[in-house]
Amino acid sequence: MRQTPLTCSGHTRPVVDLAFSGITPYGYFLISACKDGKPMMRQGDTGDWIGTFLGHKGAVWGATLNKEANRAATAAADFSAKVWDAVTGDEMITLAHKHIVKTVDFTQDSNNLLTGGQDKVLRIYDLNKPESEPLEISGHSSGIKKALWCNGDRQIISAADDKTVRYGILLKNSSLSISIFVVLKDVFVAGGDDFKLYKFDYNTGEDLESYKGHFGPVHCVRFSPDGELYASGSEDGTLRLWQTTVGKTYGLWKCVLPEELGSENSDSIYGTPPEVKA
Amino acid sequence: MATPMSVVRLPRGPNGHSRGFDPTSPRYQALAPSSIQASTNGCLKEEQRSRSTLRERFLRSLIAMAGKTVDFTMYERVSVTATFAASDIDILNFQVSHLQTPLGIQKEALLRCPDIIAYTFNL
Repeated sequence: MRQTPLTCSGHTRPVVDLAFSGITPYGYFLISACKDGKPMMRQGDTGDWIGTFLGHKGAVWGATLNKEANRAATAAADFSAKVWDAVTGDEMITLAHKHIVKTVDFTQDSNNLLTGGQDKVLRIYDLNKPESEPLEISGHSSGIKKALWCNGDRQIISAADDKTVRYGILLKNSSLSISIFVVLKDVFVAGGDDFKLYKFDYNTGEDLESYKGHFGPVHCVRFSPDGELYASGSEDGTLRLWQTTVGKTYGLWKCVLPEELGSENSDSIYGTPPEVKA
Repeated sequence: MATPMSVVRLPRGPNGHSRGFDPTSPRYQALAPSSIQASTNGCLKEEQRSRSTLRERFLRSLIAMAGKTVDFTMYERVSVTATFAASDIDILNFQVSHLQTPLGIQKEALLRCPDIIAYTFNL
């Protein structure tokens, strides 16, 4: 079976970041950050658009959802990070920064938000008391591109423009909760500037497969929480959903046996999706 | 050549009319704040009535404003005058014409509502 990526259109500029929520009773969700300033939330397994978070006045560089998918956070070039109600789409909190904010990440309990950006400082906000001063962590000598909580929110890993990665341990805050991470360990995927998606074996680092489809460099790739698909965001302004196991019936993909293709009741099933104008 | 994987339909895109977050969806019904936050003394009905009256008055004020000259006070100590035409459904943008700015008069323009602090006009 040949991989048929599902294209999610709607953005008008490059998609620079994307994130999945955890698995909720309503499925899982996806948020995409775009240079057009309008991050969008989609249903994770189908790519169906749910809503657009309106309010930022500049390119949105980072976006994330919390585990329960009821909160979203975005980082933008308008020097702010915003927290949103991901059910109603309403803006809840604006956290002013002194420079472009590039990355945001919730702790597992959604009580704290980590931000990082061009002012080279990591900040940890208490979302229950957003007006209070955040905890600041300096150390990077160039703008921060990405920062994430890891190891049960006890540690922070951050990557900067100067190609350094810092791994810090948060010593003080004992109110952060402990949780277990589940990682898809057999395969990892990466996107390239050559517009392709690559699948590598996690253990051997072997290049397993590559997929064409995007019309621009691939900026971000993430696995869904159940590992059944991965999403890629590109300079071409689209997101594409790819199956981890091609041939499986999942989401909008349907495994059609060769005999069924010829029958009358396959009207709603077609082989190659028709071209959709951007 | 391998058979391409079949697809039931394509992902649905934005509908172009609104920002989404469909209030009739099951998730919204279950998770959205169930009602407007009522004041502590618990007279929800009265507060809802006041809120609807205020909302209706605001919407009627937008209708009354159509075609009138409006003075907008915006951030960064900017004040502009324009003829108001319409608002979009989410009250995020105001369509105006003959916008007088320090850089000249703009025949047609869109003002972003989050940029507006206050506006006044004569009925």
